[in-house]
Amino acid sequence: MSVPGGAAPEGAGVEQGPTTADAGEPVVEPHPLEWRRVHPVTPAIRSWKIFVGLIAVVSWQFVDNVSDVQQFVEAGGLRWVFLALGVIILLAAAYSALAWRFTRYAVGDEAVHLNTGIVFRQQRQARLDRLQSVDVVRPLLARLAGLSQLTLEVAGAIDSKVELAFLKDDEAMALRAEILAKAAGVRSGQPGSGGASGDVVGAGDVLAAGEGGPTASAGPLVSQHEEAPERTVIEVPVPRLLGSIALSGALVGVVVLVMAVVAGVVLTLTGQMSLGDVAAGNLIVLIPAVLGVVSVAWSQFSGGYGFRAAISPDGIRLTRGLLETRAQTIAPGRVQAIQLTQPFMWRKAGWWRVRMNVAGYGPTTEDSSTILLPVGDLEQALLACWLVLPDLGTEDAAGALTAAMEGSGEDHGFTLISRRVRFLSPLTFRRNGFLVTERALLLRHGRLRRQVQIVPHERTQSLGVSQGALARSLGVAHFTVHSVAGPVRPYLGDLDEAVAHRLVQEQAARAREARALDRPERWMEQ
Amino acid sequence: MAETDVSPFAPPGVDFTGVSPALIKVRVIVSCIWLGGLAVIGAVLAVATKAAWVWAFPAVFVALLVWALWLVPRQVRAIGYAERDDDLLLRKGILLRSMVVVPYGRMQYVDVSAGPVARALGIASVQLHTAAAATDASIPGLPAAEAARLRDQLASRGESRRSGL
Repeated sequence: MSVPGGAAPEGAGVEQGPTTADAGEPVVEPHPLEWRRVHPVTPAIRSWKIFVGLIAVVSWQFVDNVSDVQQFVEAGGLRWVFLALGVIILLAAAYSALAWRFTRYAVGDEAVHLNTGIVFRQQRQARLDRLQSVDVVRPLLARLAGLSQLTLEVAGAIDSKVELAFLKDDEAMALRAEILAKAAGVRSGQPGSGGASGDVVGAGDVLAAGEGGPTASAGPLVSQHEEAPERTVIEVPVPRLLGSIALSGALVGVVVLVMAVVAGVVLTLTGQMSLGDVAAGNLIVLIPAVLGVVSVAWSQFSGGYGFRAAISPDGIRLTRGLLETRAQTIAPGRVQAIQLTQPFMWRKAGWWRVRMNVAGYGPTTEDSSTILLPVGDLEQALLACWLVLPDLGTEDAAGALTAAMEGSGEDHGFTLISRRVRFLSPLTFRRNGFLVTERALLLRHGRLRRQVQIVPHERTQSLGVSQGALARSLGVAHFTVHSVAGPVRPYLGDLDEAVAHRLVQEQAARAREARALDRPERWMEQ
Repeated sequence: MAETDVSPFAPPGVDFTGVSPALIKVRVIVSCIWLGGLAVIGAVLAVATKAAWVWAFPAVFVALLVWALWLVPRQVRAIGYAERDDDLLLRKGILLRSMVVVPYGRMQYVDVSAGPVARALGIASVQLHTAAAATDASIPGLPAAEAARLRDQLASRGESRRSGL
């Protein structure tokens, strides 16, 4: 909630403070909450991070000046460094332990509650009916210790997520099943019989009717919720992932590298520069470039390694990660928009990347959690679309999507951008266009770098149309769908004014109708 | 060359309401304070340094101020909003025209705010927020009573038509 920029004019009859149309209603829990603690090893794992950070900072300070270090070590300063480090680590450990004592969480019927903070206490509630996704994250060290972090994303402002870290692997999985079942609105048995969680079964477990109940009495409460069954739909093999990385930024990096080396060799051979100068010059330029390329390639590789997309009654399940693994569950109907991209260098291989907007995942385009498919062929890209939109709202969904991805012209009912801008976009004027189906809006862009943006009608936030001076003289206007923060920004420029007008008005009406028919927030409820 | 009857910025059957002319005064006063202030500082510097070229600074600010005085009334007159049954239309801009359609059911919250000058002249601005940060839907320069009415209206409509995200 934001505070008005200036002081509100109270005397002038405007009350102070924003009026809230939504969030902010207090959550009323029907049953008393059962508070639990995160795993006791948590402080150790957290302070280990601080330790690594310290080492990094200290060594960074020293790297600058090697001779100083030598002097320092000879003077016996190292002892003090270790002492200081030890004290800091002890303090950090003590702090973490205390923080652990004050961290408690509870899963109610309406919300997940998390209390943290030693001095400044924070109580956070994640409303289950607003749950967007549940991620099980296992950083390398936690993974070795058999621990997981559970991240709940609710559609709030920045930093609205609730992180439960760390929990035992099986405990985290059970908790995920429990939270998803509650968010889905699946209930059985009489409420209040066995604690906060005893009366809920996994969403996929409705028929099996597994009676969940609290088991541990001393330790944290673990309820036995069966995981909702999932069916793997897409898997990305490692060679293809490597190939896709090689054909992206890394390839450009290698080309630049080779060119630099060749230039150096030529300069040496023609005698314009000595070998030493060339080597030094090359190094200065190359080292940061190589580091950049390698780190980008590495993050793409480790983030996309072992990628698997599955469908379950609880929504879309995405699993990935080499060192740090991440298992995302995106609740049904929570993907706000998707974007299929084919960079020019992927065309020969016919590969596509699919990204998505999920409320709460935030605007960071680099974040690998917004990737619905790191790399895949046409068929897998179609499957990714199907995961989000099982019914595209046309008779020939695959044909329409293929036309959007690879086609041009007006096949399958596409409307193209204005003919009056042909001279401005000679390559793309037969490609850029849109298609409206009963369920979604498809925007098609680009000839060399192909791109398709898909927004389900019920996920439209607001619509915009704009026009600059040149566009006005050409009689064209630009169309935008405002989606939640994320990598997809649906936009189509240079539409005929009349077409833009019709599109905006009709989309507004379609979005309204689709919203009225939208499934309930608790997606298993009837 | 645009056929006005199909312009996306003037949907047929929709009457746009303009904002209060007091907004012109507010914006003129604010730009006078800023640009005039900077021009005065520049002039003082020019007198103090006794260098002829320093007069370029106050000259630029005065030119900007004159331009602003010419532009602001036109800009303010171009702002309009229309309440339809299910959404709010909002348009602005002369050279760079834009229009936003905000469905009531998508509104998360509404802000009413006013700076000191606006408050003195009895106007406030209403800003609509959806889950999309890209939604730039603010109506500046509403009479305070109208701002309050619109806010309450929007809030109640948002509530009755709410459907999560």
